[in-house]
Amino acid sequence: MLPHLDAAYNLARWITRNDHDAQDVVQEAVLRAYRFFGGLRGEPKPWLLAIVRNSCFSWLQVNRPADLAGFDDRVVETPAAEEDGPEAQTMRAVDRRMLNDAIAALPAQFREVLVLRELEDLSYKEIARVADVPIGTVMSRLARGRRLLAEFVRAVSRAAETRVDR
Amino acid sequence: MTHEEALKLLQAYVDGELDAARAVELEAHLAENAAARAACEGLRGMSAAIRAKADYYVAPAAFARRLAASVPLAPEERARRRFSLPRWLPQAAAFAGVVALAWVIAIPAMRPGEDERLAAEVLSSHVRATLAGRSFDVASSDQHTVKPWLSARLPFSPPVADLSAQGFELTGGRLDYVGGQRVAVLAYKRRQHLIDVFVWPGEAKPANATLDGFNLERFAKKGMSYWLISDLNRNELGDLARLLAERSTP
Repeated sequence: MLPHLDAAYNLARWITRNDHDAQDVVQEAVLRAYRFFGGLRGEPKPWLLAIVRNSCFSWLQVNRPADLAGFDDRVVETPAAEEDGPEAQTMRAVDRRMLNDAIAALPAQFREVLVLRELEDLSYKEIARVADVPIGTVMSRLARGRRLLAEFVRAVSRAAETRVDR
Repeated sequence: MTHEEALKLLQAYVDGELDAARAVELEAHLAENAAARAACEGLRGMSAAIRAKADYYVAPAAFARRLAASVPLAPEERARRRFSLPRWLPQAAAFAGVVALAWVIAIPAMRPGEDERLAAEVLSSHVRATLAGRSFDVASSDQHTVKPWLSARLPFSPPVADLSAQGFELTGGRLDYVGGQRVAVLAYKRRQHLIDVFVWPGEAKPANATLDGFNLERFAKKGMSYWLISDLNRNELGDLARLLAERSTP
């Protein structure tokens, strides 16, 4: 088993949202790591994830440019207000499929940092290395991604309640 | 701490990235402000929900097997090969290098000034690399691996020749900084001798010299200048220079 293969696959699978594409991208990234760096010799996880991440985004650019369109880090921040954030109750109640769908619906740049933070448990510094952006950008993408995810979850929860009521 | 400041710090706090001093301040604010507490609980709840309920995609076993079979070498094997040089070799070379630098540097066949400075830089790069036991950034005996690796990192594409049939084994390549520019360094090996070949675009008159123990050969071909340095004897280093000149199709 290659080191960190599950982490590489999990990241690629979440970014490409497809098993087959994730396999293609991970295979290409691993072979490239071997070719350019003379093999994987127990390097830290962020090192491999950075290569996988780049392969994913290049792949999206070529095959699904729409996935990356319309994203801008410079969007004016709306002042944080508590009603924007997630509600503990809603989060406890959300079901598995709903949550997965909501994460999958986030823009790729938000999905990426969220997966690295929550599923790979990387620090801000490590995420910055993987995504090749400053730590400040990691923090703002995480904050915006979480706010957006809370909105999605609230929306689907409400829709589900309405269906049950009916 | 104002409520706005607290909300800004909350995310870093929940992610465990807030320094201790500010975490204490924030906790004091949380203790007396219910809205901040609710926001904090919400963030914690989201984190917990994602960790508990989001799918973690494990690489399928068949895919992992296929991938492991398609990579050139198992990592352990590669590591063994990489560190197969005798342990004492870098130290010996480094000692020789320090002695060489301590002596007055004499380069009779070369123009003084610029050339002398370049020769000294080439020598110290060679000694530094052997001292650290790190002669290459990309370890490969395959010219088709080394050349693209170097080309991708340099504003030029250095010729890389496979001379194993002539007894000069390619062990890898690295980047260095000589004469105010990035240069390619090809690492060759003959018996136990390490040879560094520095390549960069430019002209140079053919010359050779001895820097107290280390032999230096220089030539230029097709717009590239080559500097060879090694503790290998002068005749064999000259052979390598001739072979490289013959094969230097960029």
